[in-house]
Amino acid sequence: MTTSRRRMLSLLLASALGVAGFVALPSRPAHAQAKPPVTLVVANSQWLDALRGKNLWAAVTKYQQVAPHVTLQQEAIPSADFNDKITTALGAGQGPDIVMMQEGLFYSLAEAGFLVDIGKAAEGAALNHTNEKGVVKGKRLGIAWQRAVYALIYNKKLLDAAGAAVPKDVDGLIASSKAIQDKTGAIGFSSRHQIADLSGWFMDFQSWAYGYGVNWVDGAGKLTLNTPEAVAATAAFKKTFDSGIIPVGDDMPTQRTRFKQKQIGFSIDNSGGTLNIASGGPLASTDLYSAPLPFKAPGAHQQIFLGVSKHSKNQAEAIAFLAWLVTADGQRALRDASGPDALATDVPVTEAFRATNPWADTFAALAVNSRSTLIPGYESKTTPIMRLVMEAVEKVIVAGADPKAALDEAQKQALARF
Amino acid sequence: MAAKTTMRTSALGARAAGYLFIVPPVIYLGVFMFWPLARQMWMSLTNTTLARPNDGVFVGLANYARLLETPAFYASLRITVVYASLAVLLGVTLGVVSALAINRPFRGRAVVRGILLFGWAVPNVAAALIWLWMFNERSGVFNKMLLGMGFSRLRWLTSIDWSLPSILIVTVWQVAPFVMLVTLAALQSVPEEVREAARVDGADPLNVFRNVTWPHILPSVQLAALLVAVWSIRRFDIIYLLTGGGPLGSTSTLVVKIRQTAFEAHELGIASAYGAVGLLLALLVAGIHNLVDRRRMRWVAER
Repeated sequence: MTTSRRRMLSLLLASALGVAGFVALPSRPAHAQAKPPVTLVVANSQWLDALRGKNLWAAVTKYQQVAPHVTLQQEAIPSADFNDKITTALGAGQGPDIVMMQEGLFYSLAEAGFLVDIGKAAEGAALNHTNEKGVVKGKRLGIAWQRAVYALIYNKKLLDAAGAAVPKDVDGLIASSKAIQDKTGAIGFSSRHQIADLSGWFMDFQSWAYGYGVNWVDGAGKLTLNTPEAVAATAAFKKTFDSGIIPVGDDMPTQRTRFKQKQIGFSIDNSGGTLNIASGGPLASTDLYSAPLPFKAPGAHQQIFLGVSKHSKNQAEAIAFLAWLVTADGQRALRDASGPDALATDVPVTEAFRATNPWADTFAALAVNSRSTLIPGYESKTTPIMRLVMEAVEKVIVAGADPKAALDEAQKQALARF
Repeated sequence: MAAKTTMRTSALGARAAGYLFIVPPVIYLGVFMFWPLARQMWMSLTNTTLARPNDGVFVGLANYARLLETPAFYASLRITVVYASLAVLLGVTLGVVSALAINRPFRGRAVVRGILLFGWAVPNVAAALIWLWMFNERSGVFNKMLLGMGFSRLRWLTSIDWSLPSILIVTVWQVAPFVMLVTLAALQSVPEEVREAARVDGADPLNVFRNVTWPHILPSVQLAALLVAVWSIRRFDIIYLLTGGGPLGSTSTLVVKIRQTAFEAHELGIASAYGAVGLLLALLVAGIHNLVDRRRMRWVAER
């Protein structure tokens, strides 16, 4: 009797434990259990960013908990080589499954037919306006990963030490930068200024151009590189360059490092670059402030799109990953790692982030009216067209050429080639 | 009869062995050199783009015609010739002088030789980054020295006047040790008894060098000069990392132009045409070297 009662009790206990164990197991989607293991290669230059790369990767790999049969694998390519490597790889029928790319590359790959329709990933998602340009010829080929707006950023402590004001125009920028240089010994203002860094420089310069009201094409879609607005923007950049406030010869990584080390007063940078400056350096993120650009009109933004390669053998899984990324869970995971960058859906910056990053709010406000760095109608040809513009700017700042004459020459060459 | 058959078999075997030895390099060169070269030449006659490398359409000599109409092509050709010529002139001169200097035994020669070889041993990318910092306008050691001596700062890499000379400084720092090594090896093979005989005949050190040492090391120096010239025509990494071809195209050699055309404008056809011109230039240099070498041989024979 005792034995049978014990056996009964043991059976009950075992059943209870079994049921409890079953209930305690994390719920997994049925498809995840049934599917064979898949590895998705995700290419992005941001994986190499010191702290941001790690945080972004931690955010996206949360998908592996939702879909345990999927393993995400990084393909980290330096930003300077990213376009070359991805274009060459896809041109050769290879490359990653998912590409996180700048808008310019997105249009090139779309035009070459290397991206597949990812409309299914967007079904039911509350995508915002940053996704509009992801639709090419009626097909959704891209979903926004991040949109990084440009703003004027400054080291508040240097500004206070020099008694300098936050500038509202280029003359003010030069005056405040000079005050910082004279009174603190730091560098006044950082800016890309070399053709060796063409892709970064032209995107930065778009903020100057748009700030002066430039449209690189007219209403009929004809290129207009030598408008009075473009001449004014070039002249303003020349004035800034000649004022001696820029560390001539420094590339952008060096300038950002200097900013991080409290050696620079002002910079015009995008929110992604600013997040880099604010993370993991001697400059406390609470000492970094931002302001609208010192121009009359709104500036530019850089946009990164997500796309799936037509050479991917796991297209359906890649699209499923993107579908998760635009869910509330996916976007929440991305939020803090992305700083104040606009994401595919409207996810506000957390209070905790705002409290430690007083610079974040301005970027969010500027994102409303910012413009793409690409030339409308010439999206995939923007880089070679902007090379002509930047060569003209270089002629003006290095050789002292007349801005109008230099841009006239650029216009002539552009009309002959494009 | 049997002996004849054996001889024939061994002759066949010897011939087959010859072919057998030559097959691997022929396959290697065919796959990794001649096929890509042939493909590049074909591509230069098509409108191939980077995104569609296999879909180019034959356009005849249109790419070459476009090159000839572009002022930037002539500028890059001129810069390539100037850069390669000065790299050879300065690199070879410095290399030969260094070799002569360290050929004599002196205390600490091994250390000096090691220091002089440093430039050759450092990888190009690392060298470019080191020099990038030394040339930095604000924090670079060169400008600090200039300021210390009471001069003003120079824009080493960002002014039209100084960018090419700056790149030449780095290039010479890299190639001179190679020339020095080659020359040193040649110098150490000059028979001492011939030098001794010249001295006994009353030749002073300059005459010993001119009539004994120099003719002996000349073939090696010529070969080193040829290699330096071809490498300079092909050099990309240092130029690209230091200036990216700028400012205002003042360091934009043909190879930099190839990169720009292929990866910015995505025009592989035009880029291949630039490459073909670079190849022609290298062949021209090799041809000149061959001509000079033949004349030297004839001169030696007639002497």
